[in-house]
Amino acid sequence: MKMNLTFHPRFRLPLLAWILLALMGAAFVIAMVRYAVGIGAISDLSNAYPWGWWISFDLFTGVAISSGGFLMAGLVYILGVEKYRPLLRPSVLTAFLGYIMVAVALLVDLGQPQRIWYMMIYWNHTSVLLEIGICVMSYLLVLAIEFAPVVFEGLRWKKLAHFFHKFVMPFVILGVVLSTLHQSSLGSLLLIQPTKLHPLWWTAILPIIFFVSAVAIGLAMILVESSLSSRYFKRGLEIHLLEKVAKAIPIVLATYLLLKFGELAWAGDLGYLFTSGVMSVLFWAEILLGVVLPLIWFSFKRMRQSPKALLAGAILLLLGMILNRFNVSWFAVKHSDPLTYVPTFMSNVTYIPTLPEVFLSLGIFSAGILAFGLAAKYLPVFEDEHSQAHAPGGD
Amino acid sequence: MTEITHHAYLFDAVRCIACRACMVACSTENNIEMDKTRIWQSGVGVKGEFPILQRATMVYHCMHCNHPDCLSACPVGAYSKRPDGPVEYDPKKCIGCRYCMNACPFGVPHFDYDKGLIEGAFIDKCTFCPQRIDVGQEPACVATCPTDALEYGDRDELLKIAHARIAAHPERYLDHVYGEFENGGTSYLILSHVPFSELGLPDLPETPVNEVSEDVMALTIPFALSWGAVLSAVAAGVQIANRRSAAKAKVTEPIEAKPEEQTK
Amino acid sequence: MNDTLSRRDFLKLGAATAAAAAVGAMLPPKVAQAAYTAGLVNAAGDGYIPSMCEMCVWRCGVLAKIKDGRVVKLDGNPEHPHSRGNLCPRGQSGLMNTYDPDRVLTPLIRVGQRGEGKFRKASWEEALDLTASKMQAIKDTYGAEAMVFSSTHNLSQPQFENLLYGFGSPNYGTQRSLCFNAMITAFLLTYGIEEPSRNYKDVEFILMVGRNMMEAISTSETSELSHAIDRGAKLVYLDPRFTKTAAKAGEWIPIRPGTDSAFLLAMINVIVTNELGDCDFVKQYVVGCESLPAAMRSYTPAWAETITGVPAATIDRIAREFAAASHHAMVHPGWRTSNFVNSFQTERAIATLNAISGNVLTPGGCLSADVGAEGAGLGAPPQPPYPRLSALRLDGTPWKYPLVPLKLGVFQELRDAILTGEPYQAHGWFIARQNPILALPDRTKTLQAFEKMDFIATVDIILNDTAWFSDVVLPEASYLERFDPLLPVDGKAYIRQPVIEPQGEAKSALWIYKQLGERLGLGDYFQYEDEEDYLRQQLKPLSASLEEVKAQGYAEMPEEEKSDEITFNTPSGKIEIYSETLKNAGFSPWPTWEEPPAPAEGEFYLLTGKVAQHTQFGTQNNQLLHKYSDEPRLWMNARTAAGMGLADGDWVEITSPVGKAHTQLLATEAIRPDCVYLTPGYGHLSKGLTTAFGIGASDSALHVTYTDPISGGQALSQTFVKVSKA
Ligand SMILES: Nc1nc2c(c(=O)[nH]1)N[C@H]1C(S)=C(S)[C@@H](COP(=O)(O)OP(=O)(O)OC[C@H]3O[C@@H](n4cnc5c(=O)[nH]c(N)nc54)[C@H](O)[C@@H]3O)O[C@H]1N2
Ligand SMILES: Nc1nc2c(c(=O)[nH]1)N[C@H]1C(S)=C(S)[C@@H](COP(=O)(O)OP(=O)(O)OC[C@H]3O[C@@H](n4cnc5c(=O)[nH]c(N)nc54)[C@H](O)[C@@H]3O)O[C@H]1N2
Ligand code: SF4
Ligand code: SF4
Ligand code: SF4
Ligand code: SF4
Ligand code: SF4
Ligand SMILES: [Mo]
Repeated sequence: MKMNLTFHPRFRLPLLAWILLALMGAAFVIAMVRYAVGIGAISDLSNAYPWGWWISFDLFTGVAISSGGFLMAGLVYILGVEKYRPLLRPSVLTAFLGYIMVAVALLVDLGQPQRIWYMMIYWNHTSVLLEIGICVMSYLLVLAIEFAPVVFEGLRWKKLAHFFHKFVMPFVILGVVLSTLHQSSLGSLLLIQPTKLHPLWWTAILPIIFFVSAVAIGLAMILVESSLSSRYFKRGLEIHLLEKVAKAIPIVLATYLLLKFGELAWAGDLGYLFTSGVMSVLFWAEILLGVVLPLIWFSFKRMRQSPKALLAGAILLLLGMILNRFNVSWFAVKHSDPLTYVPTFMSNVTYIPTLPEVFLSLGIFSAGILAFGLAAKYLPVFEDEHSQAHAPGGD
Repeated sequence: MTEITHHAYLFDAVRCIACRACMVACSTENNIEMDKTRIWQSGVGVKGEFPILQRATMVYHCMHCNHPDCLSACPVGAYSKRPDGPVEYDPKKCIGCRYCMNACPFGVPHFDYDKGLIEGAFIDKCTFCPQRIDVGQEPACVATCPTDALEYGDRDELLKIAHARIAAHPERYLDHVYGEFENGGTSYLILSHVPFSELGLPDLPETPVNEVSEDVMALTIPFALSWGAVLSAVAAGVQIANRRSAAKAKVTEPIEAKPEEQTK
Repeated sequence: MNDTLSRRDFLKLGAATAAAAAVGAMLPPKVAQAAYTAGLVNAAGDGYIPSMCEMCVWRCGVLAKIKDGRVVKLDGNPEHPHSRGNLCPRGQSGLMNTYDPDRVLTPLIRVGQRGEGKFRKASWEEALDLTASKMQAIKDTYGAEAMVFSSTHNLSQPQFENLLYGFGSPNYGTQRSLCFNAMITAFLLTYGIEEPSRNYKDVEFILMVGRNMMEAISTSETSELSHAIDRGAKLVYLDPRFTKTAAKAGEWIPIRPGTDSAFLLAMINVIVTNELGDCDFVKQYVVGCESLPAAMRSYTPAWAETITGVPAATIDRIAREFAAASHHAMVHPGWRTSNFVNSFQTERAIATLNAISGNVLTPGGCLSADVGAEGAGLGAPPQPPYPRLSALRLDGTPWKYPLVPLKLGVFQELRDAILTGEPYQAHGWFIARQNPILALPDRTKTLQAFEKMDFIATVDIILNDTAWFSDVVLPEASYLERFDPLLPVDGKAYIRQPVIEPQGEAKSALWIYKQLGERLGLGDYFQYEDEEDYLRQQLKPLSASLEEVKAQGYAEMPEEEKSDEITFNTPSGKIEIYSETLKNAGFSPWPTWEEPPAPAEGEFYLLTGKVAQHTQFGTQNNQLLHKYSDEPRLWMNARTAAGMGLADGDWVEITSPVGKAHTQLLATEAIRPDCVYLTPGYGHLSKGLTTAFGIGASDSALHVTYTDPISGGQALSQTFVKVSKA
């Protein structure tokens, strides 16, 4: 345990941990209530709004911001860009935890969570959700395998670690394929709502658009993680690497812009850009925050080289893109018109997430952070620590 | 009634007096809980300004689409389409994801938000009363309708009747049978005197809304395979390239790297 | 699916019905055996049993689906002329009346104050003995006339009447004067028949005067009207509200309340002055046809326009359209014609219009004068004649209201007599299948009258407001649990039979009345062993056996031969547009215009009227109907409301000369600016109605008692109210 002893992060575990634990506790209670008396008891979900906060935040956002994992894996293993290796493990870890959080949230949102495995036995090949389900479940497995070496090293089971390293490659490839599929399929999920999703968002190329944005989000997440962890764990920031990551962002975002507006033009929907009231506003908010500004931002070398600027730019991008996920899966989805319905309980056509809904997500998120902290503390997540660990206080 | 090859309903908003006998009938026939319903009334209600007024309401339930979007969307195939029309739902398969509710452009499937794990939360929707139509009875809602605003029969027959009715009273009806083509055709056909949107019906293309999503899904497997192949090729290529330049620096070989470090 | 089904079992409601389920589960021989031998139900007791709906007085045929000893579904009986396979929402919901968790299933005797709702369960013995002894005591001390009896029309009415007339009281309150006195009296005086039957077969033009057929449903007639419209028949509909009938009408005329007779008189004027009528043809049948033009001269469309607010041109056109469709047209006689003190004149004008355009006279015409008297052609248990009734009727018929037929009476007038003790004091009230506290106008007055009573007994199935204020509540078996006397319709006698065993202790009215009768020494008026024996005696003249009738649902009746020469049961034997009888009684012999009062500035006409999902005041607690009902609100014209600074959904206070009510506002275009409307049957006082209590407001609390001196009909639209933000 020498390595771990010498490595002494002084992050404010106690206070933070207490808050996190409290949130987790709250989430647990909420979940139990839901399992006992139903989703209606803790959420504002209704027949008019079958999906809400959990889908937009935990599923759509959660999966998107976990995309760093497959990017780094692809970069390092497949393209063999070794210099990114230091960023690999943290990214894989965040992805791993991210997907676990998604899964947990879905187990609360599902009406019959105990039947989740039915997806494995009853296949309806026309269902986008089936694809997502299969991909996410399998990808979780892949991530486990990708992350396994770290765990075994932590436990110092070198043989096992070594073994997994040897056979990791096919899984990495599988992982990238699965990710490509479900990152894009989250977009496809909405293809079946052409009449419900606002034309500014609904397009046949939703899957492609989703994939490209997922790449941008993934890159941004890498920046955020690295800088945040470098702060908490008081370790050097791989600024030289991050700058290159940041350099890629404008290219991705440019592609995104082209696709997005190209499609709108092609579909003749440009008109909606300014004529759809709130929808237009939401659209521009997401485009400016998540695409235009970051594109400009990261085009400046100065920005790419300042840790603060990197973080700021990345957060900007993430905010915009998360808004995009919310728009597509919630704000821009039109449900039953407010006509007079009989019986009266039919006419509930508004949706405002309840506190329990939000706190459930927060609780799950807290668990994720806690897990990351612990992993970072007890497992060799930041490989470059080795070298640094030896420089000072080496006995 | 002629032999029925495709069970269907014809609803006539001009005839309907919104008495809701059909709804009560459905509730008893199908033993629906007091705070649930499979059939409801929608529409803008009274429109116009006193004294020039019109009523716009319809009786709403599952359209039993020819290309059901619920069925297309359900990951576990809980829905099935009978060759003779009715779209059925099997609670034994349902995982409660509620994707069908998002998929259905008519907002038909309803979910048990008030049920926990023990009771089990399921989807419910109009079943077309198989227990009745399969023994030659009309669906409960249709059977009781005092004005024949709801009728039941073979889809082609009902379409003939509908168009004949429009032809007989062009001043009374819009010259359109909703559901003949909407969403690829439905088994619930609707006649109206007011724009169908005022009855609460969505404006739908003649192609099923699930078309694009099904096309994309069809591409999944091929794409996955080819994408996987490409990646493998690239990976292999890179590996070889790295091996070649391996002599330069052993350090760049990840797998040997660590053990060495550890042994220091 | 079964597991989900059982989970969805909405019939599992409260202990009351859970227990009931247990009872029903083991079908005692009576019900099961008959149905089984008839092959209606299988050995398990599951199947369909024919019977008759009693959710309203139309009485459609039902096929009750039985499963595990419970009614699980009601279908319209295709063989029954009133249902033809259809049932209205109330009929469909019938089983929830039977399985209402609030059902009264044992006799109740009051222990607390009246209206407190404190009762104790009692045995039938005790409850019947108590009721009989109280009635007897009243009879002994004050005379039989001190007992008031009231009941709303139902199949066991003959036995109810045996009870009261046998007992010796003239005081008989029925719903009629609140409902159709104006129509019945007018048609009796004009045609000599109570209510002409309508025939929509080849009608081309229908004028309806506030007969909201699409909401105040009579299943078969509602569907006949609807099909006539589909065929292309034109419906012209007069109503201050845009009802669902108005929505189906070719022409809706939002006439000013109370002015229908002006509209109709002007139509007559147009027809006779332009000789559009069939006067020569009808001369031989119609008294006064010649001098009609003179009598109607002043009632020009221009004149009517100033009163009704309907353009003269419109009235003229409609009159001509109606005349043109002669023999294929009808002015519907209406049903609840208790709107204004001049509603009688409205009905007279309707009778006249139908006469002069020959609609009643042509065989198979749209209105036919031949209506078989109830029970005709059927046997009945023997019974002695009633004792002579010497005492005056407290409701003023006929001594105050000479032209009001005795069987109709003037229910609403009873209370003043009770409160004043004039001409004598009443001390007891026996009520069956009726809810006077909500049905009568001026609820406060009704409650005061109740106060005056030494004893009140009510026969009902739930704790309606009247039962709530009674001393003894006798639980009747619901219509799905009991036999009632056979009902002849179109040459067939239809049966109501138990399709499940009565829940709890509930018993049929036939049984209850017999038990009371015997205790009151009136056994001779109830000479039947039990319900089945009663029906057997009814069937005697017919060939059918009771078992056949149970299986088939009806018994064929012999064709009574019809003479094709048309006679009218009036003094002259003709249609009396000009009526000596009216003249002699000091009223206008002609249909005439009587100016009704109108609301003052800032006041509104308070309109009432049925909704399709409820019957009067008795079904609001039916959970199935409640589920599909609109919440009752005060309708007010949207612009009027805006003008008064009232918004949709606002809580408002409604003030009438006799009461106040609070409810939410419905701002709608569907009503005249000078009217407001409340759905009747809400604002219950009884906490024994767990579903209905606390919902809406009662218009009965607002209605002022106004009685038409000719027909004795109550004027329910003649109450004017103020509305302000609550
Ligand atoms: N669903 C249902 N159906 C029923 C019943 C029920 O309770 N519920 N009850 C049955 C019984 S007992 C009866 S009597 C019939 C009654 O059936 P209807 O005769 O139709 O009587 P209502 O529905 O009470 O009132 C009909 C209309 O009269 C209008 N009105 C009020 N004042 C005036 C006026 O001065 N002039 C005109 N032209 N219209 C006016 C009201 O706005 C209302 O819409 O319905 C029978 N059918
Ligand atoms: N404000 C206002 N007043 C009105 C009217 C209106 O429209 N508005 N309408 C008028 C008209 S048209 C009429 S006909 C009268 C009706 O006046 P009512 O006949 O007094 O009113 P209902 O509600 O029909 O009363 C029926 C009662 O019988 C009970 N009941 C139901 N089924 C059974 C059964 O099987 N057995 C027994 N024993 N009881 C049973 C019900 O619980 C209810 O209490 O009201 C008149 N009064
Ligand atoms: S029963 Fe017929 S008329 Fe009544 S609401 Fe249903 S469809 Fe309309
Ligand atoms: S209406 Fe909705 S639920 Fe019914 S079949 Fe069509 S898609 Fe499925
Ligand atoms: S909720 Fe049930 S039926 Fe609907 S899509 Fe999900 S699994 Fe299928
Ligand atoms: S068909 Fe059957 S299930 Fe569907 S609405 Fe009608 S009654 Fe209800
Ligand atoms: S009209 Fe409706 S409530 Fe009245 S008897 Fe017929 S079905 Fe029953
Ligand atoms: Mo009535």
